[in-house]
Amino acid sequence: MLNKMVGIIDDIGGVTLFMKEVFRTGIKTPCTFSEIMDQTWKVTIQSLSTTAMAGFFVGAIMTVQFTLQVSQFGALGYLGGLATSGTIREVGPLLIAFMLSGKVGAFTSAELGTMRVTEQIDAIKCLGANPIQEIILPRFVGIILSSFFLLTIGLFMSIWGGLLMGIVFSGISIEEYVRHIPNIVSPVSIVTGLFKCFVFAFVLASICTYKGYNATGGAKGVGKAVVDTAVFTMIGIVIADWVTSAIGESVMELFLK
Amino acid sequence: MSDAQVQFINVIKSFGDRTILKGISFEAKQGEILFILGTSGTGKSVLLKNLVGLLRPDTGEIWVDGEEVSQISEEKYFDIRKKCGMVFQHPALFDSLTVFENVAFGVRKHYDYPEEKIKEIVKKCLKLVHLDDVEEKLPQDISYGMQKRVSLARTVAISPKILLFDEPTTGLDPVTTNAVNQLILDLSKTLKTTSLVVSHDMHCALAIADRIIVLDKGNIVDQGTPAELKASKHPLVKEFLMEATTHA
Ligand SMILES: Nc1ncnc2c1ncn2[C@@H]1O[C@H](COP(=O)(O)OP(=O)(O)O)[C@@H](O)[C@H]1O
Ligand SMILES: [Mg+2]
Repeated sequence: MLNKMVGIIDDIGGVTLFMKEVFRTGIKTPCTFSEIMDQTWKVTIQSLSTTAMAGFFVGAIMTVQFTLQVSQFGALGYLGGLATSGTIREVGPLLIAFMLSGKVGAFTSAELGTMRVTEQIDAIKCLGANPIQEIILPRFVGIILSSFFLLTIGLFMSIWGGLLMGIVFSGISIEEYVRHIPNIVSPVSIVTGLFKCFVFAFVLASICTYKGYNATGGAKGVGKAVVDTAVFTMIGIVIADWVTSAIGESVMELFLK
Repeated sequence: MSDAQVQFINVIKSFGDRTILKGISFEAKQGEILFILGTSGTGKSVLLKNLVGLLRPDTGEIWVDGEEVSQISEEKYFDIRKKCGMVFQHPALFDSLTVFENVAFGVRKHYDYPEEKIKEIVKKCLKLVHLDDVEEKLPQDISYGMQKRVSLARTVAISPKILLFDEPTTGLDPVTTNAVNQLILDLSKTLKTTSLVVSHDMHCALAIADRIIVLDKGNIVDQGTPAELKASKHPLVKEFLMEATTHA
């Protein structure tokens, strides 16, 4: 137990130092724009359809759940607003980010871990290049850009999923579903949702590149890196969610005053 | 300083509380083929990685071509790695690049050559390792033996003065093993490089080494020319010799 605690503190320190190195390299010797675009494109294409589908169903689920709650109070008119707001601000980013951590995170840490244990990363150094610049930077930036984009797409799809369920399951018209959305979904909640997406993307990108880059011990080590990535990313995202929610709350208060 | 091109003086390296290299001292002279033998897990790879700066020793000195390198900055190591080409145990080729781009990789980083000249160098190096018609292939589309040779070509391409081999023949069939041995011998003759070969194969060592060092549990337990080692009394060396004769 104590060992585990120390290990976690070790990892937090490790990620922080790794990020420092990545930023330092990014400022001193950035990678090319086309390398970043290559990675962004690769990740986006890999996960676009799954993210869109996940987003759609998250929206649908939320509407179904809200229907069961609000219909008791005869407040079906508020269904659209409540479901959309809840999805965009909280559940949507969280669930979609979880899915991306399984897909993008696992893929990237496996890829980098394999490069580490097959000595490709050492080879890059020995051939006179900086592996952080060559392979980490493009992936890091690429994952942030594409995850942010994918999360946004997912949220957008969740609105449609919710709308469809509103019509099919709850039996209300489009106008009725849409009417209260502008009242309840304030610009602040959209900004909060997008900000969350960005923070989650950052958490995902830093953990999977760190874990993959620092894998040790052959094929088993790669497996461990992938598992660690999945676990730590999810924990990281939940914590980040809590922190950003708190911040979102205080920002909201600031605006209301 | 002697005429040594590579020299270790009392190098100690530990990971946590495990000391892997317990004060290693040896030297390799210009143009010689020096074998470093040891069972797996004794720290042979760690030794080579200390030389090219992938790991840094805790204490001790490492001299490369008249320069002490153990504590120099990562930036300065750039030039040392140009002198000290390392061929890894794995082929360690970059999967997303073609064989041509793999071999050209180091040349592009270390030299400002025009594309024509790079093409020429890549062709020459692939020819040195007896490969042709593979330039446009991806690493996963050629055999393991070929990958190891491409990896050798990639290192030779930056024209290092010193070549380091980490278990060049491990995992290869006998025919390819002989070919790789012959290649190391040829390279050291034609390019006049100093070669450090890490291996657990006494058979290869006896065949091509000028001198052999035997490493066990972080210490050098015996060293000498192949002839001298054949007469060794050390139990580990004897065991290695027995392996070599039964395999031959
Ligand atoms: N980066 C590292 N961190 C911790 N231990 C390591 C590291 N690299 C190697 N070791 C340990 O050092 C010992 C020697 O490893 P190595 O040099 O790879 O052996 P070999 O002689 O087979 O090449 C092994 O027990 C290995 O676990
Ligand atoms: Mg080894």
